[in-house]
This record gives sequence, structure tokens and C-alpha cells, in this order.
Amino acid sequence: MTSTWRLVVVLGSICFAASLALSSVYDLTKEPIAYQKKLEMIRSLEAVLPGMTVDPDSGYLDMQREDGAPVRVFRSISDGEVKGAAFEVVAPDGFSGNIYIMMGVQANGELGGIVILSHAETPGLGSPIEKEEWKGQLKGRSLENSDLRVKKDGGDIDQMTGATISPRAVVGAVKKGLEWFDKNKDQILTDEEKTS
Amino acid sequence: MSTYGKEFTKAFFKENPVLVMALGLCPALAVSTSAVNGIAMGLATTFVLVCASTVVSSLRSIIPSKVRIPSFIIVIASFVTVVDLVMNAYAHSVHKTLGLFIPLIVVNCIILGRAEAFASRNPIPKSIVDAVGMGLAFTMTLGLLGGIREILGSGAIFGYPILGSKYAAMLIMILPPGAFIALGVMLATFNVMQRD
Repeated sequence: MTSTWRLVVVLGSICFAASLALSSVYDLTKEPIAYQKKLEMIRSLEAVLPGMTVDPDSGYLDMQREDGAPVRVFRSISDGEVKGAAFEVVAPDGFSGNIYIMMGVQANGELGGIVILSHAETPGLGSPIEKEEWKGQLKGRSLENSDLRVKKDGGDIDQMTGATISPRAVVGAVKKGLEWFDKNKDQILTDEEKTS
Repeated sequence: MSTYGKEFTKAFFKENPVLVMALGLCPALAVSTSAVNGIAMGLATTFVLVCASTVVSSLRSIIPSKVRIPSFIIVIASFVTVVDLVMNAYAHSVHKTLGLFIPLIVVNCIILGRAEAFASRNPIPKSIVDAVGMGLAFTMTLGLLGGIREILGSGAIFGYPILGSKYAAMLIMILPPGAFIALGVMLATFNVMQRD
């Protein structure tokens, strides 16, 4: 009996010490992690809305995507005017898993750029969607001035050697994003009340 | 050679964790897509290994043998969580690439193996030397494997292109099969070298 108690006490105290240590490390790293996440957010917002300043903590709108999923629209506001908006879209039809994309749209409906937030495409084949050489061609495109499909499907966007599925998924999601933006343009570009 | 020297160097040749004992193959194969990833993974593992070995060795007379495995796992898991949080806070981009494989250090057989086979039977200084040796040998092997795969698969080392733009990269070396091929060749070479 006493030996059983010894097992319980030893294992219990090890668990107790471990949880104490973990909670203090969590406390210490909580702020740096939040700060890094914010930096990352600012970096991707600046990349998709080049030349504009976006504060991720103010001026955003919480809206709904077509499928009802919530989406936060970050906006660049200067002189009381919305110059551009950035929001996340999801491409569900990539080669493996969802591709999460941050896209920026200027007030005139042209794409400012995209950033691939996360993906699980094949390294080397599909993963170049992250590279500027490919995604750079999306800059300045809009629903009016381009056919937003890959060339293989008759559109204007280059796919890349050896991979059509990943670019097709990204372009498809971006196109849907632009259409969604177009439909909600009035709200996104004028709704000033929710700015803080 | 002194005992400590022997405990330290055995990990690089006679008892190399990856190349001789074939332990820790999951991270070795999965994250060795580039030299930087391999080394970062190796260093994270080394840190956990050293901390866990120290604690296990200092508690070796207190922990009853019936609950030693759960105790070791709690100690290891706590240090892995610490590494996970600290990396997320201060080495955010590396943390993003290694992602899932940091939590998986918990189940890396090298760590539990050293705790069980060495640290729980030897005094603290000797256990630390053993852990540092094993960790650095693991780091070296992963860095080497990552370097080979990076050079062949993308013509670069540490992200700097060295083979020129005309080099047609062997994409397969970055993909999972390339990991097996490179590791197989390394194992064979190492075995031939050991024989002499």
C-alpha cells in the first residue's frame, strides 16, 4: 500500500512542478508571441496593399463571406477615405489541403497583391505560388481588365511548369474574393461608423 | 581518452543516433528539406535532450521504476512545450517552418531512449555530457542530410544558390522520397567508413 502511495505522490509532484514551470513560461512568452503575430499581420497587410498604411487594430469590418464564414476586412483609411481593403480568402481546391490567402484590393477594384498565409502544396512543384515571380502577375488585375483563370483554362494567368492545380486554386479563390468585394463594395468603402 | 571524452564522442561515430541506432528517423526525414531546417530541429532536440537528461538524472533515485516512463514523458513534454513557446516568441519564422515537428520532439525516441538507457542510471555530469554529444551528433546528421538535399534539390545551401541558374534541380530530393534516398546513401557510406 505504501509503495502505491509513493507512486502517486512522486508522479503527482512531478506533474505539479511541470505545470508550474509551464504556466510561468506561458506567461513570459505570451506577449512576445502576440507581438510577433501582429508584426506578421502588418507585414502581410503591407505586402497586399503596397504603399498604403493599414492598422490591424482599427478601421476593420467584421463581415460574412458568401458561405457564411466570418471574415475580417482590414482597411486602409486616410483623409476619411477608404483607399484599399485586405481580407483572407480560402482556396479549398488546392493539391493538398486548404490554401489560405490574404488579398488586398484597391478602392478601384484592382488587386494590390496577395500573400499566401499557409499551404501544404508539394514543395518545389506547387509551392512557388508563394514566390513573387508567380504571384506578382496578379498585381493590378481586376474583374474588368483580366480573365481571372489560368491559361490552361483559357484565362490570362500563367500557371507554372509542372503544376496547374495550385495556381488554379489560388486564382479561383482570388477571383471569388474580388467578386465578393465587388458585391459588398458600398459597405466596405463607405461604412465609417465602425472605425475606431 | 577520459571517460567524459568517450561519452561525448561515442555519439558521433560508434553510437550515432540516426546513422547507427536508426532512432529519431521521423524528424530526420521530415524536416531535412534544407540545412537550416535540419540544424534548427537538431538544436531544439539538443536543448530538450540536455534539459530532460539533467532532470531525469537528478531525480533518478526518487522516481520509482514502476512510474519511470510516465515521469520521463512528463519531463520531456514540459521541456518541448517550453521550446515550442520560446521559439514561437523569439524565432517566429523558424517556428513556422518546423511547425508540427516541434511538438513531435516529445515522441522522438532519442530523448526517451537516452533518459531510460543512460540518464536514469548515471550521475548528472555524465548524463549532460552524453546528452550534449547525442544532441550535437543528431544536429550534425540532420544538418548534413538537409545540406545534401538542399544542394541537390534546389542548387543552394543555406538559401544561397551555389550551383548557378543552369543547374536543373533534382526536385525529388526535396520531396519525401529524396529524404529516404539521401538517408539510405548516408547510412551505407557511414557503415563502410565504420568498417575500416
